[in-house]
Amino acid sequence: MSDMRPEYEELPTQRLVAVPTPQRRVDADELLSRVARGDERAFAELYDLLSPRVYGLIRRVLRDPAQSEEVAQEVMVEVWRNAGRFDGTRGSATAWVFTIAHRRAVDRVRAEQASNDRAQRVAASSVDTPYDDVVEAATARIEQQQVRRCLDGLTDLQREAITLAYYNGNSYREVADLLGAALPTIKTRMRDGLIRMRDCLGVAF
Amino acid sequence: MAETVDIHALAGAYALDAVDDLERAAFDRHLRECGACTVEVAELRETASWLTHAVAAPPPPRLRDAVLAEIGRTAQERPKRGAVGGGRSQRSRLLRWTVGAVAAAVLAVGVGVGTWTVAQNGVQQENARIDAVLAASDARLVSSEMAGGRVTLIVSPSRNAAVAVLDGLSDPGADKDYQLWMIGDTARGVGVIPGGTGRKYINGLAPSFGVTKEREGGADKPTEPLVGQIKL
Ligand SMILES: [Zn+2]
Repeated sequence: MSDMRPEYEELPTQRLVAVPTPQRRVDADELLSRVARGDERAFAELYDLLSPRVYGLIRRVLRDPAQSEEVAQEVMVEVWRNAGRFDGTRGSATAWVFTIAHRRAVDRVRAEQASNDRAQRVAASSVDTPYDDVVEAATARIEQQQVRRCLDGLTDLQREAITLAYYNGNSYREVADLLGAALPTIKTRMRDGLIRMRDCLGVAF
Repeated sequence: MAETVDIHALAGAYALDAVDDLERAAFDRHLRECGACTVEVAELRETASWLTHAVAAPPPPRLRDAVLAEIGRTAQERPKRGAVGGGRSQRSRLLRWTVGAVAAAVLAVGVGVGTWTVAQNGVQQENARIDAVLAASDARLVSSEMAGGRVTLIVSPSRNAAVAVLDGLSDPGADKDYQLWMIGDTARGVGVIPGGTGRKYINGLAPSFGVTKEREGGADKPTEPLVGQIKL
């Protein structure tokens, strides 16, 4: 009995702070629930909170500022219209908004590719808007650094595959072509790369 | 069937919108019957949304005016059944968000894809219990390195329950599993985890939590030295 019991020596344990919830995320979730009840002021706040990332993402994918503005408007209005359909058990409000934004941007890029005038337009427009609001930038910097750090933790192929798809709107077939890799490889790298990023980002929650 | 294997692998490309319309439709169908992929896609979309931090750019001020004017004359869709509507209290929403964050922490300590895939069979009930622990307002994390990996406990005294997450512990060896114990005056077996990664709902707390390697399927009481211990 007790002679069989091994010795329970104490090991060093690490106590973590009880779950620091990212404040901005709570904000977006809370705001979206008010938006779902028709609260226009909450919508304006949500707009202020998320529009730099919505617009920035769309612009990164589309390159063209005028079109980006147009698509960003469609996206934000769609957020307003469908706020009641957001299901918080399946993810955060921010992820929901950016999923819509990314999808709309990609749809537009693909439509453009079909009409085949994208190349000239991209070449003719400048790409990067500096992030010029100092306060916002300071807040965003930590998150940016974290994203960059986690991207740096990927293999080159994982990182390329993910960023070409997410930032350029390329399909995995196009990515495979661009990188000269096999289709199944690219599919796999997108998935295991995102999983690695998920774990990397998750550590900081 | 090759196609079935193939479609799971599409989760990453799908989450990145890097699929064509046919593939998206096929994967949407797949999601209706594959819980593992549904969870994975939600996580990967959450992950992908972080990429927006790196490209944030303030839109022209006129966009704000245009959007606010347009929503002023745009009717909202009615909430879908089961979606989060206006009925929920602030408190439950906040609570739910705490849950999300803890859940993220749990996932972060390494419930990998493999676990989700393998775990599907009959785990829904266990998942519901796990969610309840994560949702508890007094839930807290305690974590310790063990056997080359990490063990994290999410403990809720008010529920007298915990969730143990084993992440990347070394292979326990042939015919061996990791066994979990709640240790007070005696050690009570509270679960067996084959391999070094997995998670377990634990009903009933004790002053201390420990892990041993035991014969496959577990033993009635610890027969091997602890690979690690966490004080609650
Ligand atoms: Zn699946």
